[in-house]
Amino acid sequence: MVKPPLCVLRFALLSVFSLLFSYGGFIMICSAENNGVSSKGGSASKKESGNIRILEIAVLDTREEVKGSDENTREEEPNASSLKTQSDLWKEIGEGFSYTFRTLGYGTFNSPSDSTQNPNNDFLNIPRYTLNLDFRPDISFNFRPLTLVVKPRLDLTWKRWEKGAKEGDTDTDNDWYVNEWLAGLNLYSGLFVYYGRENLQWGPSHFVSPSNPFFPYNNQANPKIELPGMDFARVVWVANSSWTASLIANLGAGRMMFPYGFERTYAAKLDYTGNQKYGSLIGSYQENNRGQLGAYGGWWVSDALLLYTEGSISKGSNALYPQKDPNAPFGIQMIPTKDDSSTPEGLLTVGGSYTLEGGATFSLEYFFNSAGYNDNEAALYDDLREDAASAFYAPEPWHRLSKATLIQTLEPRLRFLRRNYLTLQYVQVEIHDVLNLTLRYTYNVDDSSSMLVPIVEYDIGDYFQVFVVGDQRFGSKDSEFRSLIDYSYMVGVEFTF
Amino acid sequence: MFNAILALLTAFLVFGTAPCAFSQDLTPKAILVRADEARGNLEGIKWELQIISVESGRKQDRELEVKSRGTEFFAILKAPPKVRGQILLNVDRNMWFASPSIRKPVPVSPRQRLVGGASYGDIASTNYAEDYDAAPLDDELVNGERCYVFELKANKKDVTYDRIKYWVSKERLVGVQAEYFTVSGKKFKSAIFEYEHEIIVNEHRRPFVSKIIIQDSLLEGNITTMVFSEPILGKVPDSDFDLNLLLMRTI
Repeated sequence: MVKPPLCVLRFALLSVFSLLFSYGGFIMICSAENNGVSSKGGSASKKESGNIRILEIAVLDTREEVKGSDENTREEEPNASSLKTQSDLWKEIGEGFSYTFRTLGYGTFNSPSDSTQNPNNDFLNIPRYTLNLDFRPDISFNFRPLTLVVKPRLDLTWKRWEKGAKEGDTDTDNDWYVNEWLAGLNLYSGLFVYYGRENLQWGPSHFVSPSNPFFPYNNQANPKIELPGMDFARVVWVANSSWTASLIANLGAGRMMFPYGFERTYAAKLDYTGNQKYGSLIGSYQENNRGQLGAYGGWWVSDALLLYTEGSISKGSNALYPQKDPNAPFGIQMIPTKDDSSTPEGLLTVGGSYTLEGGATFSLEYFFNSAGYNDNEAALYDDLREDAASAFYAPEPWHRLSKATLIQTLEPRLRFLRRNYLTLQYVQVEIHDVLNLTLRYTYNVDDSSSMLVPIVEYDIGDYFQVFVVGDQRFGSKDSEFRSLIDYSYMVGVEFTF
Repeated sequence: MFNAILALLTAFLVFGTAPCAFSQDLTPKAILVRADEARGNLEGIKWELQIISVESGRKQDRELEVKSRGTEFFAILKAPPKVRGQILLNVDRNMWFASPSIRKPVPVSPRQRLVGGASYGDIASTNYAEDYDAAPLDDELVNGERCYVFELKANKKDVTYDRIKYWVSKERLVGVQAEYFTVSGKKFKSAIFEYEHEIIVNEHRRPFVSKIIIQDSLLEGNITTMVFSEPILGKVPDSDFDLNLLLMRTI
């Protein structure tokens, strides 16, 4: 093959470049269309990231120019530069602080149900009226790799009882505490360590979070009531935009109450985020208890339709089951019959949500609780509660036995008593820019009781919001959802600055 | 002129059958790529966003701090106080909302309303070049500026709008106007884009979005204006988009 003379090639290339430069913008397009090609100068290289073309960019930012001029000054006037550096440092520290101060004033109207779980409201002493004034400052400080967060709280409470032993009584209380605090350090690139009192929540389910071994409930039923924080140490490694691994140790009860005592729990969590889908796997172990494997995942079928699932599985269960026992005081005893069982027990939520073009979102969830009571167990449970309630006003030792039994029936170490639940939810936010509306209806398929939770938030100006959070229960008198209350309505004002 | 023809001929002879895209008009996709880049489709960007909504004569403001990378973003509401600390996170077309009151991040649809006519999805940079099939229509003048006009039809199910009519300036290669349609074909909002900011991409100054005005097509008085601050360009680390670290930032 005959090679063209070098001068012809040089001339041709020069000609082509001169033409291309006359179409300046066009060069960019050609460059962007060719994978792996860098344009001259090295500053305009191009990378591919999935379907998204990303161009490396030079910054047109006057701040850079200012920085440059500062550097020049530094060479000439070291003292001035030092002062400038100190001033920048203080500015950075100052900018690292942020806070939000919330004050909530609200009244709650409860109607304690006349159930065997709470005979004449003498067991639980649920007040008829409460008035609360809660001060909730959230303060954080971020300085380079350091994160500090503290959430001190002051709750002032007034209560009045209209049913039970405390009928006609009123009481006031003030409670100072730190609900959450946190110290975090970004050790290296995507590696973070945290220690503090936190409320760790995850998973897509609205009704309950089956994959969370630390917090069995979330506060979606009433977003105005804070869940108590527990003490955690965490290591989080963000490997890349798709994968994150966490080691979590729940080292203290914090402000959470544990009727049967606190046990430390350890978990390893692996998170994946991919195109239109996400998932997580959580392995955990509780001291003196058992291991649990949890998982959740979601898939955006379209920008409107989300399908999700969340669950957990463990070998056996430490839940208390009613068993006939002729030697027991009430002929029935609550026993952890599945404690040594090798049968897998699990919780599973399967759900989906659809968002209309106007923004309204409808969700439907099915929740299965394999450890929940079947009909026979539920019947025994009801009998036990009834007998215990009958003995509540009997002389000792029956009164004490009754209370001990009612504690067990109240907290049988089950998230929910029965096996099958359906939740339907409607959410629409920013209606006319001022109104948020949530309606959540949960139906216990096994005993036909249900609860309706309406949450209405109405903004007044930039600082105030009035709200109503309801909890209306339906079903027979001793059904699961009517065991404690018939209804509860919270009405209040939130002030934020 | 003679030199130019000679250069072209020489180039053709030297490079044989190598593609000579520059001799053709820009393809619709190439135009959309450029238009996307002027709306934030970059390696990393940080800016402040003010959203002013006027609905039924009532004015509402929202101020957000946004970090974005490609179409991913982390946005935290800074003002007014009643919404301060609320977070929107969009990673790989998965969107979550978290607030200081509900500590649990909730997966949400980009269709959900942020304020006024702005949906959560409107904060994200556009990726029309990938997400839509573009059918060119006749050029039109918009405010005296000659524009390409495209009928964009979604080629994916997970995009916020099913169909868009999009006007792109022929000279600046930026989207200047858009109309958004429902699946049923009804126009439900329109938008006007302004580009007062500039960035340098591959040593070229490029116009960059500074304002988006969204007009509700059903209620004419309802207007939402999104005002973008001067962009600060730079790499945004993966950890800024991580769900596990989200709750530390809801203050």
